[in-house]
Amino acid sequence: MTPVPSAGPSGAWSAARAWLGFALLVTAHFGIRPLITGRVTVDFLLIAVLFAAVRMRPGLAALVGFLAGIAVDALAPASFGAFALALSVVAFGASWVKAVFFADHVALTGLFVFAAKWLFDITHTFIQGRSSGAGLLVELLLWSPLSAALTAMVALVLVTAFRPLYRPQTL
Amino acid sequence: MRSDGRLDTGIALVCVVLALLALVMPRITRDNLASALRTTVLSPIVTLEARTTAMRAAIDSRNNVLQLRGRAATQALGVSAVADENATLRQLLGLASRLEQEFIPAEVLPARGFADDFTLALSVGSNAGVEQFLPVVTADGLVGMVRSVDPATSYAISWAHPDFRVSAMSVDGQAFGIVQPHLGSGVERWLLEMRGVRFRAKLDTGTLIVSSGLGATYPRGIAIGVVVGELATPEKWARTYLIMPAVLPSAMSPLLILRRGVQTRDLNGVWTSITAADSGARAVAAAGDSIARIAAMAEVAARRAALDSLIADSLASDSTALRRLPPADSARRADSVRRVTGPPPSGDRP
Repeated sequence: MTPVPSAGPSGAWSAARAWLGFALLVTAHFGIRPLITGRVTVDFLLIAVLFAAVRMRPGLAALVGFLAGIAVDALAPASFGAFALALSVVAFGASWVKAVFFADHVALTGLFVFAAKWLFDITHTFIQGRSSGAGLLVELLLWSPLSAALTAMVALVLVTAFRPLYRPQTL
Repeated sequence: MRSDGRLDTGIALVCVVLALLALVMPRITRDNLASALRTTVLSPIVTLEARTTAMRAAIDSRNNVLQLRGRAATQALGVSAVADENATLRQLLGLASRLEQEFIPAEVLPARGFADDFTLALSVGSNAGVEQFLPVVTADGLVGMVRSVDPATSYAISWAHPDFRVSAMSVDGQAFGIVQPHLGSGVERWLLEMRGVRFRAKLDTGTLIVSSGLGATYPRGIAIGVVVGELATPEKWARTYLIMPAVLPSAMSPLLILRRGVQTRDLNGVWTSITAADSGARAVAAAGDSIARIAAMAEVAARRAALDSLIADSLASDSTALRRLPPADSARRADSVRRVTGPPPSGDRP
């Protein structure tokens, strides 16, 4: 999330707000998510990475995804590197397609987050490679889409209610 | 513009390669790196997550706490007497004393990812006294072992982890072997197998398997599971048994981490074992028998006493009646006396 071209006061303020929004989502991921029990959960970290990715160049987006993923991997060392790989890929892809999907349109934003979350879950599951058979199908075709839908709903709420922080604007 | 695109692609490729390297690096290196991150830059996040998890546990247990508080208030008066009685009864039944302050209670932090089922992130670390290789248990039995420790958190492998091994024995001490995860597919992945059991040691279905205490990690006597059946293996000199774990995956929280001192102790009887329950049942039955015997003897004694008093009474009444009879008939029995003399006078007992 590099404060880019417009280095004036408004650009710096926009970058600061974006950082603040990112930090709040990361905090929510580790401070609120554990309170939510059940198989369907909100992935605040993915929302943070996606909202950051659409504001920056693909390379930097991949780097942010990698760092965020490594942070989660450090907390789950059994699959060290899996989150980093999945988030790098998703952030890179999100930054590439931002011009197409991440217009200032609520429905498209929701669809974008839904697709990104589902893709992330699929990638992460296959990288870990431990699930198989019916369990894998249930995970990818039931729980993962439900989690993606919930994550997309939360993302829409954030974009609507906290527009100054999460407005899709290039820095 | 094209160079920017190449730079972006290059950065992304570097990230992917680094992530792949992290995936394939040796476990020791991976753990050290993860531990270094957790204790430095991620320290605030670890603390935040541990507190949130504790908060969730508090919310979950709030109703129970309220109920327990009320129940505890009503039962507080009798606690010391019950404790004394319990200690006496456990001693009588041959059970060991329960674990006291020799464990560290822990909560399981939420799992990350789908398939991270074999490693448990615990909410306590070295600040609470957790050390590497300490056994992790629940009230039902063995869960696993602490693998890595940070100041605020620790990570344990469960019995389903491919690296899990524990030296085990049947509860009667007749069969020894090594228990490890049964790496089957589907539901069978959540079973254990006991390998290397000598051929002559045949175990019946339902036999309780406990840790044998061999090795430096697990003390003797922790319940591991029960025998489900025997597995057919190419090994003809040893048997392999399928074990149903004592602690099911859904019951792995809250946990207890046994302190180092407990590891050298024999924990037989802390987990209610079949032997203990059996000996307890026998002791109870024997106690019941002796009580019944004493009661029966007391009843016999009481009957005898009643009979004696009845005889004494009847003899006394008969002697009274006999005093009214002529002396020549005094040698006869009372009944014959009555039959001969007719009904007794009014006011006399029949």
